Amino acid sequence: MESFFSRYRNLLVLLALLVVQIVGLAVQVRRVDSGRSSLDPSDSSGVRLIRLWANAIVSPPERMIHSSKLNSGNLWQSYIDLRHVSEQNKELQKTIDRMRLEQAEMLEDARQGQRLQGILNFQEKYVYTTVAAQAIGSSGSDQSRVFYLDKGSADGLDRDMAVITPDGIVGKIRDVFPHSAQVLGINDQTSGAGVILETTRIRGILRGNAAGRPQIVGILADQRIQPGEKVLTAGGDQIFPRGLPVGVVEKVIPDPDRDSFILVIVKPAAHLDRLDEVLVITSTQPRFSPQQQQDLATSEALKGPEAAAMKEQKKASELMAEHLPGLIDPNLPPEQQPLNDSSNPNPVARPPSALHPDRFTPGTAQPGTPETNAAAPSPETAPKPKQPGAAPAGTNAKAAGPDATPKTKPATAPSASGKTKVSSGAGATPKPKPPVTPPVGGKAKPAAESTASPDAAAPRNP
Amino acid sequence: MPVLAGNSRRDLEVHSYPLLVYALAPLAALVLQAWLPRLLHGYVWFDLPLVITIYFALGRRSPIQGMFLGGGLGLFEDALTHHAIGVNGIAKTVAGFLAASVGVHIDVENQTIRVLLNFFLSLLCSGIYLFIYRYLLGLELDWSWLTELFKAIGNSLIAIVLFPLLDRTRIDD
Repeated sequence: MESFFSRYRNLLVLLALLVVQIVGLAVQVRRVDSGRSSLDPSDSSGVRLIRLWANAIVSPPERMIHSSKLNSGNLWQSYIDLRHVSEQNKELQKTIDRMRLEQAEMLEDARQGQRLQGILNFQEKYVYTTVAAQAIGSSGSDQSRVFYLDKGSADGLDRDMAVITPDGIVGKIRDVFPHSAQVLGINDQTSGAGVILETTRIRGILRGNAAGRPQIVGILADQRIQPGEKVLTAGGDQIFPRGLPVGVVEKVIPDPDRDSFILVIVKPAAHLDRLDEVLVITSTQPRFSPQQQQDLATSEALKGPEAAAMKEQKKASELMAEHLPGLIDPNLPPEQQPLNDSSNPNPVARPPSALHPDRFTPGTAQPGTPETNAAAPSPETAPKPKQPGAAPAGTNAKAAGPDATPKTKPATAPSASGKTKVSSGAGATPKPKPPVTPPVGGKAKPAAESTASPDAAAPRNP
Repeated sequence: MPVLAGNSRRDLEVHSYPLLVYALAPLAALVLQAWLPRLLHGYVWFDLPLVITIYFALGRRSPIQGMFLGGGLGLFEDALTHHAIGVNGIAKTVAGFLAASVGVHIDVENQTIRVLLNFFLSLLCSGIYLFIYRYLLGLELDWSWLTELFKAIGNSLIAIVLFPLLDRTRIDD
């Protein structure tokens, strides 16, 4: 047995290491409802501890390198310069080298100052509360488009906060440590942001592809989407506020995985591969400057009395409406309705009679066929009832029966509202109706529906 | 094949390095791997922790040390990403084991062999990564073999420069 372990020691150790790591992987992956697997977005305490250790080891040297401002470009340039000048004059070269370094540093400072000034201007004008941070490192893998900021939970940063630049959105904070934070870029394959095309108003989900380019997925083929169209955040993902620039459409290609769907490749507005300073939106509560706050307070102060006055006016008009007589009183018989009251000193103005009456003239509608008013025949061609009981053409079987007879009487002519108006009592001589305009479109309420009114039902049984 | 075969005593000797090199070289690889992509605007066509793993596995000729070094560096790499921790760990564990196993049998001082080893082990690591991510874990992952080819070439070029530099820190008996 001992010889077995000593002989296959290397393989056994390899096996043990692989098994341990595979078990560790299995813990981190969970199966979702759709049958596919997904990574648990919230790391367990053990996984988070490993990430914290790795971050604690790597971040300080990165921060140191970043703050020293000795990038590889400067080193390379200095090396070349030193090599050329050392052949001629070492002292002169030292001076030149020092001056060039200073110049490079000043130039870098000036550029950084300009960038910071731009960010500061944007931050002052931006309505949400933001925290400025610097990108200090990356994941080092092209399969994981994440980078690290030099600020963390101690500076008020938290998970799922949006990271932007004045040019456009960058990503969201995926994990936060005390003095650093991990940002998931919008060009990562696992990222997702709700976006909308500015002109066509087509919505989609932005995510990265294998090449690290952001693309909008889940869009049906649409000829209207053209390169150059602006892409904005849609605001529905609870991370990015609405209307932030994302980029412009670069090209549209068919989705290789799904027929009739397309992929919209987006050229990001922010320089995702050259990020230095970024802004983290720490609060989406609107933040107003003192001047804006003063304007708001003034507006509110002016709005208060105005709103109170409008409310008073509305209340007074409601009271007046309750006390003033209406044109139709449901408690009064028709002849006593205020509309027909001749004793009313202020009668309802009636429209003048038509000089050349036609079938559209008020009061000339054929009686008893309110259902057919929409396609009412002309007076010349419409069959007129010659005798009681003869149903006019166009009436239904029910209307053509004995019950339908009174409907053919002029007293049952449909009113403007479509309801049948009748004179009081059975057999009463119908009063001439005030000329009213039929409803637009010729639609009148059918006679059968008019039976809902007790007055209308009266003439059915004379 | 006198060049390739590791028959001589010199070829099979186990190299040792100062403790500082053991500590600083992997750390520098991790930090540079995380920092350099920012300067190179996202073109991550190299894997410095893998190069360091292969170098020490070849130099030490100990599969167990190679496995632990590769596994540790891979886990750290994974921890810096937002992916599952262990994918790179497994890939580099296998790479460390194979590099050390190969180092026992062939002449690892030969520069051509070093470059070829880096090239093929880089591709192998990429394949293991893809296999674990897409098939073992069942996660979605877009993949570009062209990028992995560039990465393998980048690792080989870095090995050409880096291995002789690290050889200078070697403690000769």
